[in-house]
Amino acid sequence: MLPDKWKAAAFPLAFVLVAAVLAAVPFFEDLFYQTFLTEVLVWALFAISFDLIFGYVGLLSFGQALFFGLGGYAVAIPTLKLGMGTGSGLLLSVAVPAAFAAFVGFFSVRLTGIHFVIITIIFALIGSTVGETWTSLTGGADGLVFMPPPLDLGIAQLDLMDIRTTYYLVLAIVAISYLFLRRMVRSPLGKVFVAIRENEERARLIGYDVRRYKLLAFVIAGGLSGLAGGLYTLSLKYASATFLHWSVSGHAVVYAIVGGAGTLVGPVLGAGLIMALEHYLVNLLQATDLVVGAVLVSTLLLAPMGIVGFLRGRRK
Amino acid sequence: MASNLAVAVLNGIVWGLIMALIALGLNLIFGLLHIINMAHGALYMLGAVFSWYVIELTGNYWLALCVAPLAVGLIGLALERGLLRTIEDKPLVTIICTFGIMLVLQQLALTYFGGTARRIALPIPGRFPLFDLQYPVMRIVIAAISAAVMVALWLFLNRTRYGLWMRAVVQDREMAVALGIPVHKVYMWTFVLGSVLAAFSGVLAAPIVSVDFMMGREILIMAFIIVIVGGMGNLWGSVITAVVISLIHGVGSIFVVPSTATVFSLGFMILVLLVRPQGLFGE
Repeated sequence: MLPDKWKAAAFPLAFVLVAAVLAAVPFFEDLFYQTFLTEVLVWALFAISFDLIFGYVGLLSFGQALFFGLGGYAVAIPTLKLGMGTGSGLLLSVAVPAAFAAFVGFFSVRLTGIHFVIITIIFALIGSTVGETWTSLTGGADGLVFMPPPLDLGIAQLDLMDIRTTYYLVLAIVAISYLFLRRMVRSPLGKVFVAIRENEERARLIGYDVRRYKLLAFVIAGGLSGLAGGLYTLSLKYASATFLHWSVSGHAVVYAIVGGAGTLVGPVLGAGLIMALEHYLVNLLQATDLVVGAVLVSTLLLAPMGIVGFLRGRRK
Repeated sequence: MASNLAVAVLNGIVWGLIMALIALGLNLIFGLLHIINMAHGALYMLGAVFSWYVIELTGNYWLALCVAPLAVGLIGLALERGLLRTIEDKPLVTIICTFGIMLVLQQLALTYFGGTARRIALPIPGRFPLFDLQYPVMRIVIAAISAAVMVALWLFLNRTRYGLWMRAVVQDREMAVALGIPVHKVYMWTFVLGSVLAAFSGVLAAPIVSVDFMMGREILIMAFIIVIVGGMGNLWGSVITAVVISLIHGVGSIFVVPSTATVFSLGFMILVLLVRPQGLFGE
């Protein structure tokens, strides 16, 4: 056993190390890997936002794609059509999806289990149907291509047409979001979330307003899913109604389950591993969904707690 | 106008009966195994894809109607025995697991069948006059076959020993075990039956819509809608709901854009979920 002092230092050390390695990548690898890692980071953020609602509160939402897609449009439409800056676009990519999540969540958290899953799918389906039809605003399935203006940070202007700058911006935002979520799930609020997941009835009897806590988690998860969508759109310079489709939520579900739901680090790991696997297999098989599906199913059967859960279980 | 309306009503009934078959399969599996089968749409798609191959090889649609559902039934058997059996008591896990199965089946179809949509020639090419329009005879035949399958299913559930067992397991699983009903076998055959129904409706739908590896994705959600509005575990609720929703959607699409009709039916379903989660026809 490690002394407690070491244990407390383990996370900051590991976090700084991983962040440093990721920050060093642009000095050693070419632009392709920077683009690839940008994408991994964005999906990792999407996966941890899903982990908050599924891994900690126990609500299986297949509707996160709605917030992801909305976040994308919240960046693309104001910059493209209203001439707003990228900074306000990014703020909107949290605020707009969070507002929608408050609306969707208000109704959804009244339901539990399977009914909750289905109502979130339906809300996302309404979103993608509207998005695909309202082409004058969204560009439909063809989407909107746009050029994000430089991000004004006061001390510096970030040119987002530059791949390396975008990579660092995404890395910084994802790292901060990770720390934010980690702090939250370890706070008393996080304990209430877990209490609801473990036994909703008991949490209610103790006196917690279960619906309000669920709604809070849903709104935060929605806002962060939106941020992921906003960053995705910024890095691709492209937003599309296809991002709103409920099946896009499947990415987050797969990464979280395979990596280990309810651990935060697991979904990040899951996103990295599966996207690397997809990347190396795409030339070999051209059938990435086959591998993703097979990995997902075998994880559920062989290591239901995911990779992280499996490793933790063995250590005990 | 009258002829358009008549066509829309007929189409609505035909499509409603096909949807009813799909929803019945989903509902049977849910009622017994408590599994929300996200792969159900993919099984429907496989039925259509297999039938396309059989028709390519033999040119016989009716042979395809027999062979394709059996082949998909075998796949269902393998899925239930190999994968789902161990996680049957965890609803959320089975949702995610069948989602993974859906990804695999869709990708397999894309790899071998290809990404382009293909059409199946009408096995009965005739048309009959309907006001000033012509309506394909085949669609009426398809509707009749769907209805016949539903009658057969009713007879199976109410007049055979296996049907009795299935109803017993739905009513009280523990009591069924105590009385010596082989519950696991009932689970297995129910899943197979559900898969066969999905595939069968896939073959029936194939001459109407084009065969495409993604054809099951939206159908899956429609089937969910029907099962929930009609009441989970309530088979006849599903049949009525399927026909009514399909009629409303078909006739409504004459007056408003189809996507508006879709949004309204989705909104209606949210309302049902919130106000009557047991379904309109549930107790």
